[in-house]
Amino acid sequence: MRSSLPLVAVIVILGSFGGAFGIRFIIDREECFSHKVEYGQTVHFSFVVIKSGGSWGGYGEEGVDLVVKGPNGEQVHDIRDKTSDKHEFVAYHKGVYRFCFTNKSPYHETLDFDVHAAHFLYHDEHAKDEHFKPLFEHIGNLEEALYNIQFEQHWLEAQTDRQAIVNEKMGRGAIHKVLVESTALILASGLQVYILRRLFERKLGASRV
Amino acid sequence: MGSSFWTVLFVVAVVVVPAARGVWIDLPSSGTKCVSEEIHNHVVVMADYYAFIGDPDVHNGTIVSIPTMTVKVTSPYGNELHHKENVTHGQFAFTTTESGNYLACFSVDGDQHKHGGKVVTVGIDWKTGIAAKDWDSVAKKEKIEGLELELAKLEGIVQSIHENLNYLINREFEMREVSEKTNARVAWYSITALGVCVVVSLLQIWYLRRYFQKKKLI
Repeated sequence: MRSSLPLVAVIVILGSFGGAFGIRFIIDREECFSHKVEYGQTVHFSFVVIKSGGSWGGYGEEGVDLVVKGPNGEQVHDIRDKTSDKHEFVAYHKGVYRFCFTNKSPYHETLDFDVHAAHFLYHDEHAKDEHFKPLFEHIGNLEEALYNIQFEQHWLEAQTDRQAIVNEKMGRGAIHKVLVESTALILASGLQVYILRRLFERKLGASRV
Repeated sequence: MGSSFWTVLFVVAVVVVPAARGVWIDLPSSGTKCVSEEIHNHVVVMADYYAFIGDPDVHNGTIVSIPTMTVKVTSPYGNELHHKENVTHGQFAFTTTESGNYLACFSVDGDQHKHGGKVVTVGIDWKTGIAAKDWDSVAKKEKIEGLELELAKLEGIVQSIHENLNYLINREFEMREVSEKTNARVAWYSITALGVCVVVSLLQIWYLRRYFQKKKLI
């Protein structure tokens, strides 16, 4: 069939999209990941701190640092002290890119990391048939857009997980707060009564003697 | 079907097979490194893993011993889904029966000196859901090919996006309920705390009056 060659070329072009990849891991001090990227690919990456700190600690110190380094050691991105971020860059060098996270807070944190590299459409000789070329381009764009949506959805899902955990902490925190506060009030007034009694007993004792 | 078709098919087969997708993780010389993912119920999971030192595409001409490692994959309820020791590469595939956090743990066998002190890297290629679907069998079963198959794949992706979105909507609804409940609780607890404060201070005053009256100060 004459038109099978361009169709096969379509498969060649479309089948090489990477797809999204999210993973979760627990970071202690530092954690590094590597990802092999071809020349010209647009790399999207995102991270969300899902859970951090002990039950009461970690407020305000939850962010992590992320440094993205290219295959020749050059710095591509530097993100400081964020709990969640999403970025993309174009890979001008082919090779292994390193994503290194640093945890500044004293507690373990659970991190969700997603990296997604999309091909630009490289030209294949067999796809010169003018009938199909615009169609392939549009389908290629559509697939890339869908993978991007999946990538963003994963980021949104990770952020929702984080919010759910924060909400639960807040709910539990409210109960603890009221118990601690009531106990503290009762103890404080008991202490007040005791001190006043002692004060007057001493004064009474002194004046009577 | 001339030879050109077969060459093109060969090119397709070579290119479409995913070359170096996925993420590489550095393994510590001792201890395990674990990665996890939240997976819903009834989802197909397929993964490939391989251990190496340095960049697998760079051949220096020296023969470096390929490191072996132990792999363990557990379900959220603790069931072991895959456990292999002393392997350099492998794969696992399963369909999830529980929704939750699936953990894959890797640890290097032997000690650091066996690998010349170099860092062992493990590459993981982890596909879930629609990415793990066997499109070849779908193509054979439904007798579609080429462009139609690609569009069927895109439709599959759109379906999974829609399902994810529904899940996110439900999640947001649950979170909203917790938020509103917490809001009501905080208001109620503040009033309670204020009430406790007032009651306790009234008790204080009553007790002190009684005390001073007893001591004939009032």
